[in-house]
Formats: sequence, structure tokens, C-alpha cells
Amino acid sequence: MLFNKRTERYFVWVFFPLALLMPLFLEQNTFYVSKLTTVMIFAIFVMSLDYLVGRCGLITLGHAMFYGLGGYIFVMIAPEYEAVNFWIYTFYICAIAAAVALVIGFLVLRTSGIYMIMITLAFAQMAYYFFSDSLDFGGNDGVFIYVKPDTSIFGLSLFDLENPVHFYYLCLLSLFNTLFFFRLVTRSRFGRVIDSIHENPGRTTALGYNIFLFRLMAYTLASALGAYAGYLFTLQYGFVNPSMLAWTTSGSALVMSILGGIGTLYGAILGTLVYEGLHFSLEHLTEHWLLFMGALIILMVILFKNGIAGYLENLLERR
Amino acid sequence: MNNNPILETEGLCKHWDGLKALDDISLKFHDRELHGIVGPNGAGKSTLLNLLCGHYKPTSGRIIHKGEPIDAIKPYAYARRGIGRSFQKTNIYPSATCLENCCVAVQRRMGGSFDFLRSRNRQQVLEEIAGDALDKVGLSARRDEVAAHISYGEQRQLEIAMVLATSPCVLLLDEPMAGMGHEESQLIIELLKKLKREYCIVLVEHDMDAVFELSDKLTVMVDGRHLTTGSVDQVRDDPRVREAYLGQGDEVY
Repeated sequence: MLFNKRTERYFVWVFFPLALLMPLFLEQNTFYVSKLTTVMIFAIFVMSLDYLVGRCGLITLGHAMFYGLGGYIFVMIAPEYEAVNFWIYTFYICAIAAAVALVIGFLVLRTSGIYMIMITLAFAQMAYYFFSDSLDFGGNDGVFIYVKPDTSIFGLSLFDLENPVHFYYLCLLSLFNTLFFFRLVTRSRFGRVIDSIHENPGRTTALGYNIFLFRLMAYTLASALGAYAGYLFTLQYGFVNPSMLAWTTSGSALVMSILGGIGTLYGAILGTLVYEGLHFSLEHLTEHWLLFMGALIILMVILFKNGIAGYLENLLERR
Repeated sequence: MNNNPILETEGLCKHWDGLKALDDISLKFHDRELHGIVGPNGAGKSTLLNLLCGHYKPTSGRIIHKGEPIDAIKPYAYARRGIGRSFQKTNIYPSATCLENCCVAVQRRMGGSFDFLRSRNRQQVLEEIAGDALDKVGLSARRDEVAAHISYGEQRQLEIAMVLATSPCVLLLDEPMAGMGHEESQLIIELLKKLKREYCIVLVEHDMDAVFELSDKLTVMVDGRHLTTGSVDQVRDDPRVREAYLGQGDEVY
């Protein structure tokens, strides 16, 4: 069984069908559809971070660098006034982001714990200031994307990225695939080594594994998916700007991952939904929404051991 | 007994900022022999094991495995050459089942560790080999139990099973009987008697009765230096050993 926990199966069976039907209820209101789309995109990013932090034990505060790079790589390599192919560029962006992650991971993964947090943060800040000071990339304003990619395969156009509902379904499918893919990876023999490294790195080295190599692979994988999420975000709003790479993006993603239940993967979706839901509803009530948001999050972290997913598992897995 | 040692050290030294933890140790370890290492606290026994398994790098001197110097290779490469070790403090994966603990060890040489997609449970052979390792240490009954939930003595057995699952030629055992009751120790002693017929074992142990009972060869270390090596009887009768353990005799209480 791929989704090995009952709670996760329930979640998948409840969340995805509901999400699938959602645009039918909101047909006249594309605002909510696009709001939900953003949540799905960010959930992909949070899930990739959750894999690194919760499954591999690699705590990074620089994951937003790859989120931003997903957008910036696109504006770097795509021609400005010509529609490129979505699928080919998805591949390019993931491949380039993976190459960047290999190099940065090579340096970053020599450290661990608090040092790794600081070094990943340092790299992300370097990227942030590079793009916000660079005139070629529009400085703080970022870059606009005038033409969205075309999604045809062999001349057959399945959907249109300009259509918010179509784009919603693309993001929903991407989110499901991300969860599915991470489940495959955690269940695989590679996943076995990653679990071992997470639990006891010294033991794993003593058994003959080059743990650096495995961590580098996991880091590269998660970074490429983080970049894919950034690419989707860029396509949705038609621009890329340095705030995507800011450390606050990494920070809120980390909060969502903790809120959802760290290391549970599907918890990333729950965490993002709840966080963004709170954000959205509090924002309308008061100007000082961050104050209440902070208090609520502290309360939830205290009440729910291992996040919302952990709480649900406690309810559902009991026999 | 053949004359070629399987593992050998030549003038091995380890200094920590001027403190000589290990000073000029030259030893030979042979196949199918249990080589006990004893000495008072701080004699450098654990340091020696940590050097032999690649956990520390020697300050000077060489480690030779099957005729090749190996002190420059990476820590993980030691296990790949068949030098397996168990630790003074129990060192397992507590949240995994006993079988899974051994599967991690087997998988290293079975390959497929970079297979991202296929399930880890697909390969029957891997689980069979892991199961055999559990059999050898007598833990078959605990196969599917979570390692954190088995007794302390069983966890020590599991750790030996994990080393066996890597298909080693040398076993470096750091106090496998530490903290055990008499009956549990007896179990490990019987196990080691069986294992020394197949492997080269280097045993560091505080339980003198156990070491005397098991060792084919015995080395005594004091203050990071090599005092003597010989058969159990030779070492037991050596006056210098008595002196090292019982003190000079000029202390007045």
C-alpha cells in the first residue's frame, strides 16, 4: 500500500475529490479558484521542504531560493515575446534547479544542524540580494512574463494556462503527483537509507553508506520540486520578483510544515491550507492579523503534538 | 592457524592536542581468532577500535587490511572492506523492526540504494539474508518487533546481527556485554564462541572472566601503550599485568 497510514488514505480520499469538485461550486467566482490555486502551488513547495526537514533531517532556511529560482530560471531562458512549450520548460527548469542544488548542496551538506541552517540562509540571502540589485532582472520589481507557455503535446492542446480553472487543475494534479512521487521515494530502497540516515547517521556510515551522497540526492530532488512550485507560481501571476526568494518565504513554509505535522508529507497540504485560510480570514477582520495569527499558531503547536496530521493520526490510528 | 594477519597496525598513534591517547601500537589480528584487548580505564582501547574502523584518523602509523594500507580511505569504505563494528553504547535504529535494522545492513552490498521508485519490500533475497543474520544471533523470534521495544540484551544481540548482515571479515566489538546481567552475558559469550570459528574478532571488554574464557590471544594496554600480547595464560602470569591492574603496591591506604 503506497499511502501506508489510514489517516493519509482518508485524507487523500477526502481532499482530492473535494478539490476536484471545488471549481464547480465556485464557477462564478474565479477569485477563490485562483486563491486555492496559489495554496496548492505553495503546498507543493512546503511538501518538498517537509521531505528535507522531516524525512531527511536536513533543516534548511534557504529553500525559498529554489522557489524563486524556478521563476527566475524561466525568465532567463525563455524568449520574451514567444510562447514556449510548457512541458519542455518544466523539464529545463527542474534540471537547471537540480544542477544548482547539486553545487550548493555539495557545499551546504558538509555542515549539519545549526550551521546548516545558517549556511542555507546565507546562500538564499545571496540569491535574494543578487536578484533584487540586478537591473537585468528588474531589481525589486522583478520581471513580467508577457506570454505564457503553450501546453500542447504534439500539436494537441489539452488546456490553456490563461484559463484559471484549467490552471487550477494543473496545480491540483501537480500536487497529487508530488505527494505520490514522495510516497514512492520514501517507500523505496533509497527511502530506506534516507530513513536510516535520519534516525542514526553514525550507524549508517558504520554500515558502509556514503551518507553525504544520499543527502545530496535528497536535497537535489527536493530543490528541483521546490523550483517547479516556483515556476507554477510565476506562471499564475505572470511575474517573478525577489520576495519569492526572501527568507520569510522559507520561514512561513517551515511554519506550515510544522503546523501540518513535520515529516508526514500530506501534512504539508493541511498546514498550508490552514495557514493560508487563517491568513485570509484574519486579514479581513483586522489590520493586526499577524498578531492573532501568531497566537493561533502557537496555540495549535502546543495543542497538537506533531501538527494537525499528528492529531488526526492520534484520533484515527487508535485501535 | 595461518600466518598472514587479516588486519594489522604499524606504529599506530593518536594524539589529541598533545595528549597521547594511543602511542605506537603494532598489532596483528588473524582470521578465525578472537583477539581480546584489555586494560584499565583510559588505556586507549576504544580509541584503538575507533581507529580500526575508520571513525578516527590516526595521527601517524598505518592500518593494513589484507596487505593494503587503508588508513587514508573514507570511514564508510571500512565497512565495505568487511570491517564491521559494534559500539559501546547501543547503536541501532530504534524505531524500525529488527528485520528492517538488518535489511539496511544487507542492502548496502545488494545494491539498489539509489532506486527511487520500486518498493523496498520487493526483494525477497534481501529479507532472507537479513533474517539469517537474526537467526545467527538467536533473535528470529523478535524479527518483526520494533527494536526500541526489545530488551537491552536483545538490542546488543541485534547490533551484532547488523554487523553480521554486512558480511564482514573482521568484527570489532566494543564492550558487547556492557551493562548486561549474568545470564545475558552468558548468551553473548556462547554467541561469540560460535562466531570466532568464522570471523576475526577484536573484542574490547571489561568483564575479565569473559575475556579470559573467549580470547585466543590477549593484548594488555596501559596509558595508550602496548604492554604485552600473548595467550591468556601467558598474560595472566605476567607480573607487569598484575602491576598495571593492581597498582605498584606502594600506595598506602
